[in-house]
Amino acid sequence: MGTFDGILLGLSTATTFTNFAYCFIGVFLGTAVGVLPGLGPVATISMLLPFTFGLPADTALIMLAGIFYGSQYGGSTTAILMNLPGEASSVVTTLDGHQMARQGKAGRALAAAAIGSFFAGTVGTLFIAVSAPILAGLALTFGPAEYFSLIVLGLITSMVLTSGSLLTAFGMALLGVVLGMVGTDVNSGVARYTFGMPHLMDGLDFVVIATGIFGLGDVLANLDNERVRAASVAPVSTLFPTREDWKRMIGPIVRGTGVGVVLGVLPGAGVLLSSFSAYALEKKLSRHPEAFGKGAIEGVAGPEAANNAAAQTCFIPMLTLGLPGTATMALMIGGLIVQGVQPGPEILSQQPALFWGLIVSMWIGNLLLLFLNLPLVGLWAKLISVPYHFLFPLICVFTAIGAYSINNSVFDIFLMTMFGVLGYFFRKVGAEPAPLILALILGPMAEEYLRRTLLLSHGDASVFLTSPLSLGTLVIAALLVVSILSPRLRAVRDEGLQEAD
Amino acid sequence: MKISQDTALGTLFVAIGVAALLMALQYPMGTANRMGPGYFPLIVSALLSLIGAAIILRGRLGDAKLIEAIRWKPLAMVSAALVAFGLLIEGLGLPLAVFVLILGAALASDRFGWSGKATLGAAVFAGVCGLVFVRFLGLPIPMAGAWLKALGGF
Repeated sequence: MGTFDGILLGLSTATTFTNFAYCFIGVFLGTAVGVLPGLGPVATISMLLPFTFGLPADTALIMLAGIFYGSQYGGSTTAILMNLPGEASSVVTTLDGHQMARQGKAGRALAAAAIGSFFAGTVGTLFIAVSAPILAGLALTFGPAEYFSLIVLGLITSMVLTSGSLLTAFGMALLGVVLGMVGTDVNSGVARYTFGMPHLMDGLDFVVIATGIFGLGDVLANLDNERVRAASVAPVSTLFPTREDWKRMIGPIVRGTGVGVVLGVLPGAGVLLSSFSAYALEKKLSRHPEAFGKGAIEGVAGPEAANNAAAQTCFIPMLTLGLPGTATMALMIGGLIVQGVQPGPEILSQQPALFWGLIVSMWIGNLLLLFLNLPLVGLWAKLISVPYHFLFPLICVFTAIGAYSINNSVFDIFLMTMFGVLGYFFRKVGAEPAPLILALILGPMAEEYLRRTLLLSHGDASVFLTSPLSLGTLVIAALLVVSILSPRLRAVRDEGLQEAD
Repeated sequence: MKISQDTALGTLFVAIGVAALLMALQYPMGTANRMGPGYFPLIVSALLSLIGAAIILRGRLGDAKLIEAIRWKPLAMVSAALVAFGLLIEGLGLPLAVFVLILGAALASDRFGWSGKATLGAAVFAGVCGLVFVRFLGLPIPMAGAWLKALGGF
């Protein structure tokens, strides 16, 4: 099927009234929860997952995509109005966005972010539509050695791009792999790390763990500094960018989109990397670099476009290879698996309506965001200022219902609570949980591909170096580790990530 | 009690790593070309233990950050409320379990005071949750749990 036919098929899937309505509900809920301070996309999506469980697969997927974009954009709104980034990639938005808000230009900053995101989302969607079928075709030729190397690269990128020390991130990833091994070994049928508990035979459910560590863990951490928690919300006046704003925005949006589209495909943390790179690029190209950090609209439009373009294209490795590049994507895979959809190169040929429907609904989601966010910005601002002691019990309710409804298992509620406490502990000791979450889903895949590779090569590990693609991937991974150990590049990374803490 | 961040995290890694290592030794190892279920766990848990030890060592050598004071009350209250939710959801049904969870969790906050308004709000929210999740979204959670039905049967 050609790309054009695919898009037509997608349009007919996504624009049924039900699917459109659920896309709208998804975007709305995603934004509403995403704007709440302290809730990043991972926590938002894991809490909203149960809303998709009762739906047919295509509708659920489309709603999930809506939630995903809504939560991303909600995060930017909080970053601009409150100077509170929901996740590391919206840190850059706070730099100039909040400065603009303090100068009374909050509405124009929000509009710049929304317009930039919409443009980037449109280009990103087209990019997926064109390149995903090609990559899926290519992926069918990948052997287990290539997959294993790609997984290693993804894990290493996520460690390098995490704030804090590399050693801590490495330990967190290993812990994730160990947790991923809980359950019945698929090859031998041996139950590993189950402590004789029947509930653990199927392994730890990924969504339950993510809900605990991110959703509940955030609640517990926020309650810790309840007394010092005071934040003001900048007022929003006019929303329309001036003619001058438009002139200054267009270049950064186009360049940011380009940066984001390319970097988003990289496994690891391409979204984070793209917003930082776009900011650095705009500052370098600007005739007034001194204005950056003091409310330059270029510093909002560029990184927001890059951020959204990358958020879009990071679906490519997830959909075509089944390998999530970020913790958010890992969660999306969790949501797909609940629906009985296994992402990978076969999804395109076996479930074309699902695949193309998702792609078209991404674009619809972006369109809805533009029309939902700007008019409703007053509502979002009100939501942000709801006091935390009213909000957190409701967040607890959503995490608990979410954990229970995945397998209708009370045991999962207890598991989620335990991992919530663990997530609190990680925050206390300064360990970022993203590598753990990614490793939890990539670890079992890594073991499987390693076993298959060595079975095919009769125990000869040199195949990882003789396949050109595998070798290239491992060389990039090695270079990343070396680069982080060199003092000069380390300084750049620390500067980029320090604000994310 | 003052413990550095590195000591706490490193100890956790070593404890889990060593335990996982000892358990992995009991699974069949196999060989590199036919890996048994113990092969991969052995490598990963050994690495985790080593990394944990290195983190402890780093905490001893450098000027490690200390863990800020932990507030036990919210931690205990929220966890207890969630466990209660788990124990009640199948017996009492979704709305009542949600009601208990909201009030229990709210006790964790210093700013929470019992009031008729707050209780009413929690009750309304619990009812809305029941309608949305059970009636509208069709999740297989009972509105009125097994215990209530047993009462009604008499």
